Amino acid sequence: MRWAVYILFTLIALAIDASFGGILKIGESQPRFLPCVVVFAILSAPRPYAVRIAMMAGLLADLLSPVLRSDGTQLVVLGPWTLGFALGSLAVVPLRTLLYRRNPISSGFATLVFSLLASVVFVAVWVLRMLLLRDETPSWWPGTGGGEVWRQAKVALVNGLVAVPTVWLLEKTRPLWGFSTAKRVIPGAARDLA
Amino acid sequence: MNATKLLQYLSTRLRGPRLDGALAVLALVLAILPARALAPWTGDVARIVAVPIVPIMHLGMALRERIRPPREVFDPRAPEVIELEMAAERYRTLFEQSRLKTEALERDLAAVKAVRARAGSGGVQLETAAVIGIDPTRREGLVRISLGARHGVHRDAAVILRGDIFGGVVANDPAEFVSLVRPSVRCSLGVRIYPDEGVDADRAPAVFPGTVLKPADGGVWLGDLASDAEVREGQVVRLADDRYGNVSKGMRVGRVRRVLPNDQVPLARVVEVEPLAHLVDEATVVVAIDPPEGTP
Repeated sequence: MRWAVYILFTLIALAIDASFGGILKIGESQPRFLPCVVVFAILSAPRPYAVRIAMMAGLLADLLSPVLRSDGTQLVVLGPWTLGFALGSLAVVPLRTLLYRRNPISSGFATLVFSLLASVVFVAVWVLRMLLLRDETPSWWPGTGGGEVWRQAKVALVNGLVAVPTVWLLEKTRPLWGFSTAKRVIPGAARDLA
Repeated sequence: MNATKLLQYLSTRLRGPRLDGALAVLALVLAILPARALAPWTGDVARIVAVPIVPIMHLGMALRERIRPPREVFDPRAPEVIELEMAAERYRTLFEQSRLKTEALERDLAAVKAVRARAGSGGVQLETAAVIGIDPTRREGLVRISLGARHGVHRDAAVILRGDIFGGVVANDPAEFVSLVRPSVRCSLGVRIYPDEGVDADRAPAVFPGTVLKPADGGVWLGDLASDAEVREGQVVRLADDRYGNVSKGMRVGRVRRVLPNDQVPLARVVEVEPLAHLVDEATVVVAIDPPEGTP
């Protein structure tokens, strides 16, 4: 897998999420393209890289989503989305054997699972942070963590819907990504005959 | 030197899942660092990372504005805004006028229904009239209403207020479209005095004390009363006079204000009655028009 291509597509997805994505809002749920790109990469990249590529995307998401503090300053907290994406990738990796990877609908389902778990961890990390550091407030304040999980679940559903056409488009760029297509050769009767 | 060795050691030890675990632990530690440890550097890192995506974001925003243009800035002093506000105010006034008119019509309708219930099927026609003129001197308290001979109004037609208060009678031959009404307080009325808490419907009216009220100064009536009659202040006075038609018979007229001794007749008393409503204070009234003679 070419890391440069992955980073490029991740940055493009982040930029679209921060600008163009707003017009695709369904109700209050704005779909995000970043999970679609990450899931596409996880489903096709070598298995040992899965968690790392997800964490890198999560780190970028953390860096570009600062929270507003009570004194009006912005604070970038690294970790919530990084850990969330890591757990999401751990959930998606086993699906590689169950799903037909190149099917966009399969990718949509995988994106739904990925986004859902990532959001649960995101909320959990912020709750932990609130418990440890009393002066911190998350972005959903004064709402509750449960409410935020529910909101993020709706976003995950929308992500799953958006992932279908997005992954279909990403499939067109597959040659750029340099995913390994080597197959393991198993000796057998047919090979012996040949 | 030691740092180099440490890095070499880490690079040999941290591979595969162990590296993932170490990164996750590092992320967790970073996630729970206090703001004072994060604020000095994470913001700068974020700004550096944002540099390459800013052009793409600009492109995305341009595309977004193209697809969904932003709303224009609202200027409250723009002429069209002022015009719209004035139009809204105008329509609000019209709505309020209509609402008041509707309420007045509903009151009229209720009054007509109340009188119609009393009138029964005697052929009496009930018409609502507006009070269009008041005697400027108010000495006689005469009132001009918006119904006349063209509408069937005739002399001595009863004028009813608020459903069941006898307000007066049409004073003389009405004009074509207007009539002059003499208020009840300027009429001599045969009445009966009822308890203010209500009466038993089975009791005959004759058991209640009766008198003839005559207009007196101060907008009240005075009437002679036998000394044995039990009359108290506040009792309700109802019309018992056949001259004003069946519709108005039994209607409320006034309330007993005082019961005074009669200086000229020691065995009698004088009752002073004040009207329940003044014709000059009303906006609409109901006129009970008797059917023309010869009509079955």
